[in-house]
Amino acid sequence: MLEAIDLTKRYEDGELALDGLTFKVEPGEIFCMFGANGAGKTTTINLFLNFIPATSGTALIESIDVAKDPLKAKRHVSFVSENVMLYGNFTAIQNLDYFSRLAGKRHLVKKDFAEVLERVGLQKEAFDRRIKNFSKGMRQKLGIAIALVKNAPNVLLDEPTSGLDPQSGREFLEILVQMRDQGKSVFMSTHDIFRAKLIADRIGFMRKGRLVMMKTAAELAHEDLTDLYIQYMEQQPGAAAVPQAGM
Amino acid sequence: MLRDIIKKEILDNITSPKFVFTFLLCTILILLSVYTGVANFRAEQKEHTASLALNKKNMESQPTYASLAGIGVKVSKPPQVLGTVVTGIEEAVGRVAPVNIAADPNLIDSKYSSNPVFAVFGALDLMFIVKIVLSLFAILFTYDAIVGEKEKGTLKLALSNDVPRDRLILGKAIGGYISLLLPLLIPLILSLLILLITPDISLGGEDWARLLLIFLMFFLYLSVFFSLGLFVSARTTRSSTSFLVLLFVWVVFVMVIPKVAVITAGQIRPIPSVHEVTAQKDAFLQQIQAEGQKGFGDWAQKNQELAKTDVKAYQEKLRQFIQDYQQELTNRIDENNAALERDYQQKKRAQQSLAVNLSRVSPASALTFGSMTLARTGIDDFDRFLASVRAYKPIYTKWINSKLGESINFQSTEQVKIKIDDMPQHIYEPQWLSRSFVRTIPDFALLTVMIIVFFVGAYISFLRYDVR
Repeated sequence: MLEAIDLTKRYEDGELALDGLTFKVEPGEIFCMFGANGAGKTTTINLFLNFIPATSGTALIESIDVAKDPLKAKRHVSFVSENVMLYGNFTAIQNLDYFSRLAGKRHLVKKDFAEVLERVGLQKEAFDRRIKNFSKGMRQKLGIAIALVKNAPNVLLDEPTSGLDPQSGREFLEILVQMRDQGKSVFMSTHDIFRAKLIADRIGFMRKGRLVMMKTAAELAHEDLTDLYIQYMEQQPGAAAVPQAGM
Repeated sequence: MLRDIIKKEILDNITSPKFVFTFLLCTILILLSVYTGVANFRAEQKEHTASLALNKKNMESQPTYASLAGIGVKVSKPPQVLGTVVTGIEEAVGRVAPVNIAADPNLIDSKYSSNPVFAVFGALDLMFIVKIVLSLFAILFTYDAIVGEKEKGTLKLALSNDVPRDRLILGKAIGGYISLLLPLLIPLILSLLILLITPDISLGGEDWARLLLIFLMFFLYLSVFFSLGLFVSARTTRSSTSFLVLLFVWVVFVMVIPKVAVITAGQIRPIPSVHEVTAQKDAFLQQIQAEGQKGFGDWAQKNQELAKTDVKAYQEKLRQFIQDYQQELTNRIDENNAALERDYQQKKRAQQSLAVNLSRVSPASALTFGSMTLARTGIDDFDRFLASVRAYKPIYTKWINSKLGESINFQSTEQVKIKIDDMPQHIYEPQWLSRSFVRTIPDFALLTVMIIVFFVGAYISFLRYDVR
């Protein structure tokens, strides 16, 4: 389970990146967070991964306070970044091997890696190729494979669908659904309204560090997400963060 | 986990084009430098042996002791075997010191003076390659060690796991350093083999110890740039910025500080030029020559009566007078020259010491001075050799003066055949290893301190590094 309690981040230059953010992602739930660039989505992920310290508030992974015990908390979370280049001189399997070892999965063998790579839809002939000539989509698949290998109960995804072609995008959504079915808590920051609507159990809209709206999939069933997105993004700052569902 | 990080770092480096490039260039340059070092040493050794033989032949062929005193004796500086790896100032300073009654001995006939084109390009020795080329490679291996991982997104990915940052930086440092050493070790081992199998190169136990210390200094020097690279990489947010900063620091360390230190020392502690000192010596020599002529005239006038009454007694007295008077005048010249030289050397040493200490801010200077001292090709060795020649000069002049006195024969015009078997020989005791080591302790210490400072800086910076 992922939980943010009144999470606030103010940078040294005075910029308020997060303002009292509170939400929870339950096991077996996919939570998609929308927001314009600079709204605070990535900052939220950075706080969960303890890349930056929170000004106030708490980020919890499996009820472990990330600020107090970051290493223990990180054992329970996988991360997929937007634009990971990985090690260009390594093959796909070598990259996977290294990151799985960092994740504490030392017993895995080539066959296990091949299985995961197949699952994310990477062509077999690319497994043993140096990844420096991989397309963005191929690298993204490898990044997802790295998260899959760790097999943590929580998953943080920072705009993971950017760079994926429609086919890969669909395969990726299937993987997320599988993760949900396995009982994982999935938090995804994204701009991809269409794909998110297909799989999200809940969505949230962020603006200037605040969560300005949160709705369940049922509440969204009869709404046009694009209109809703534009509506909330154009709202004046300081407007009430309503309605919040699933809290 | 540390082992995995080290393994990854090594694998990532050795599969990169920069490793292949470094390995090839290191192999070519190191082998070339040792080959040319060996060739130069053999040529110099041959020249030294020929110079000794020629000098002996020249002296033996002189018809009289007077002509022998005229040409004097040429003391040839033996080449240092470790000059094959650290040429030092061997090629810039003279190889021969003429010793005669009148002039103060100095080393002349350097390789640069005989062929100035060598001075333009300098020596391609192992020290030069380490100082210039390999330090750049150390930068090439580290400028993107941290910041490059940030740009690739792998740092975020790695730290999204329960990986302690201190272990990550340690693993990267160890793995990176091993990767840097790999392309060096093979050519260095090959170089040692070349030194071992070359017939004219004979390395004693002390030479091997010196060589190991020199290699240790090389590794420490490269570690300075390696840890500096890590430090700058952990303080910047773009690899291009990191590279530029490192390049700037490298230029300052390797090119600017050593030169500026020498110029500054020259300004703070000026010394008279060699020409001024020589002019003072020449002026005194002329004064002594004039005094000598006058003294001889006075003596002749005083002993006029004896010359008329007892020729034989007069001749004996004259011989004794010439011998004593010549020695007295020579002693005065030597004393004056020694006083001038002492004063000059004292000022020069003070200036040199200031220049060396100022330049030691740069690891390149610490490497240069330290390795030259260990190879016995530095300023110390040059000063030591010259001091031994200057100490030999009065011994030689005393011998030649006694021979001159003995050879005066008033009875006959027949020339006395000269014999140089009993001529005192110049003895040069090279500096002991323990003494050389003590002299290089500040250099070792400075390099070690720099490594610690930069590495601790890198370590602390990385613990606080913004990985986003």
